[in-house]
Amino acid sequence: MAVDREKAERLADEELMPLIAAKDPEAFAVFYDRHGGAAYSLAYRVVGDAGAAEDVTQEAFISLWRSGARYDRTRGSVRAWMLSIVRNRAIDALRAGAGRAPKLNFDDDSVLEQRPAEERTEEEAMRHETAGEIRGALDRLPNDQSKVIELAYFGGFSQSEISQMLGVPLGTVKGRMRLGLEKIRGELAEGLA
Amino acid sequence: MNEHERWSEDVAAYLLGVLEPGRATELERHAETCERCRQAMRWLAPAVDALPETAPRREPPPALRERLLAEVRADAAAAQGGEADAGPLEQITGWLRGAGPGRRWRPLAAGFAVVLVLIAGFVGYQVGSGGGGNSPRTYTGAENGITAEVVSEGQGAELNLAHVESLPPDKVLEAWVQREGEVEPVKALFVPDRDGNASTMIADMHGVEVVMVTREPQGGTSAPTSTPIVTVPIATD
Repeated sequence: MAVDREKAERLADEELMPLIAAKDPEAFAVFYDRHGGAAYSLAYRVVGDAGAAEDVTQEAFISLWRSGARYDRTRGSVRAWMLSIVRNRAIDALRAGAGRAPKLNFDDDSVLEQRPAEERTEEEAMRHETAGEIRGALDRLPNDQSKVIELAYFGGFSQSEISQMLGVPLGTVKGRMRLGLEKIRGELAEGLA
Repeated sequence: MNEHERWSEDVAAYLLGVLEPGRATELERHAETCERCRQAMRWLAPAVDALPETAPRREPPPALRERLLAEVRADAAAAQGGEADAGPLEQITGWLRGAGPGRRWRPLAAGFAVVLVLIAGFVGYQVGSGGGGNSPRTYTGAENGITAEVVSEGQGAELNLAHVESLPPDKVLEAWVQREGEVEPVKALFVPDRDGNASTMIADMHGVEVVMVTREPQGGTSAPTSTPIVTVPIATD
């Protein structure tokens, strides 16, 4: 049974999933409006090109629609799951393209683009705050740790590739990755305390 | 270094999605029996989940939303139609043959059939070779700057269009087939992507003489309401 826009907007992501699986366009529209911006931003961050980012975002959302939204609650939030789909598709697009090198700017101080406060829902504001915290946590990491995490997550480079690129032993790359993630996780935990 | 310590160094790469596939499978197998590795995965996963949020915010183009919604609405309409009709293709075929509500479309459909047969002689050619069977065969057509390709394999076929102009939000593309001189909908609604490419599937190619595509209102129609933007004649042996 299809829901109208107003009802769909009141539903949590987890509640929208069964509706999307049942091919409800309004549920899909609400889901896209919530997460399309983050998905496109992530895709752009990985592929570094507006057209390619559009393609990746479109493919990811259509895949979600056509696959019946096979969401597994044990794998984290719906948003995290959706963004992991986008990230994987973006990395695939990057690898398939001629230019392998991702756009990575380690000195990038840019933060989320500000929108007027009245346009933001409470949830968005929380995400914004979390994003700021994560960005801060990444910035506070030693450069060698943040670099391997960004090369891996946004560039899709394997540990061996990063080891070669940076000219450091594989074990060092593994250690930096683990230490960096542990520090981010620690800061997240502190922020939630 | 014990077994857990050896694998724990790979947990971060695994969560970041960059562990070599074979090693990732081995780690998953190890984690089934290693509570400490599972704990490490559970603990670190939120850190990885949060990384996308650090991407500088960019607003997606409004056209992307329009395209996505047009496509899902077309899909939903086609799915609804499929559920409502016990045998969608057969029922609509019946209508077009004068047995039901689609009767009023018969003259238009018949007119299409004549036009399509004539067009077929000019624009289409068969790329595939050999006899029948299940080997893929490709048929092409070109009109209005649009190129169309029907790749037929087994019972069904894939219809691919290129160089299609973008559609207004209230329009979709609808595919049709002609059998024994009559035009039938194939319940295939679709929209072009940003590059002007559009694809859909035709479930039943049995006896199809021509495939065509029209622009139709959102949700599709049971008979064409506009002239085809492209047609593909299907050569029969």
